[in-house]
Amino acid sequence: MPLPARDFTKIGPNEGERFPDLQLPDQSGIMVDLHAARGSRKALVVFYRSADW
Amino acid sequence: MPTLRDAGVALFAISYDSIEILSAFARKHGITFALLSDHGSRVIRQLGLVNERVQDDHAHYGIASNARHVGLPYPGVFALDERGIIVQKRFHESYRVRDTGASLVDQTLGGLLTIQPDEAVHEEEAVRVRVWLDSPTYAFFQRLRVNVEISVAPGFHLYGQPAPAGFVPLSVQVAPIENVEIGAAEWPTPHQFHVDGLDEKFWAHEGTVHTSLPLTFSAPPGAGDHVVNVTVSYQACSDSACLAPASVSRSLPVREVALVGRELPARDR
Repeated sequence: MPLPARDFTKIGPNEGERFPDLQLPDQSGIMVDLHAARGSRKALVVFYRSADW
Repeated sequence: MPTLRDAGVALFAISYDSIEILSAFARKHGITFALLSDHGSRVIRQLGLVNERVQDDHAHYGIASNARHVGLPYPGVFALDERGIIVQKRFHESYRVRDTGASLVDQTLGGLLTIQPDEAVHEEEAVRVRVWLDSPTYAFFQRLRVNVEISVAPGFHLYGQPAPAGFVPLSVQVAPIENVEIGAAEWPTPHQFHVDGLDEKFWAHEGTVHTSLPLTFSAPPGAGDHVVNVTVSYQACSDSACLAPASVSRSLPVREVALVGRELPARDR
């Protein structure tokens, strides 16, 4: 039995909204403010499982 | 991923891994874009991206449940415009199916990047057809897209579906490949088109039309290289005349590569 399909449009921030501000450390340990680092560039924000497994 | 940078697109990859793990991963694979560490999944939770059903899902996909499944995000991507507005988001059911970087870019920021050089071009009167894969390589359970772009000269159109009787609508066929799931082509919406003297309305494409079909490689690692055979059928018409129906077939090789950090099993060549 396949799992019921999920409505992925309802997960996370919506299209048409500004992506929320976030600050996280990068692989060098330097704190990155996503929108500040982006400047006026377009961006892809990728969420992935893990780099470790 | 230099093409992203060339296009002026910032890339941020977020996981719940520690800085140490990301640092080692970036060094090992020569990654220079930002790998952000959301250790503890605080941001993943705030954004509502935690996969609460991951235990069920993993059981469903045959993966044993495990403490490290806690705080996992749904795998996916947000594409932001210059103002930081989300212009598209794309998430997957399964962690085992992953878009390639190129595919994500093509899907989400379509047209922004120059196309891979490894493409087949067919040009004739009024019509130009380009066919390409978004990567010349695949890895087990990766998803690639077959891209088709058809440009028709000004004053001409191509029929969409349904086409008038006797005319050939635009279509793309990918020949079956063992252990490769071939998805449906996603077409832009055609214009409604009226032919003088006929009551029926038809659907037509003008200018440049782009479509793509997903390919998912589901054979175990070691399945080897494939050739993707793509056929594009169409008929170009102006208001007063139609060119003969045409078919363009192209063969695109795709080479198997190992998953990151793994080796391909040995096999006879």
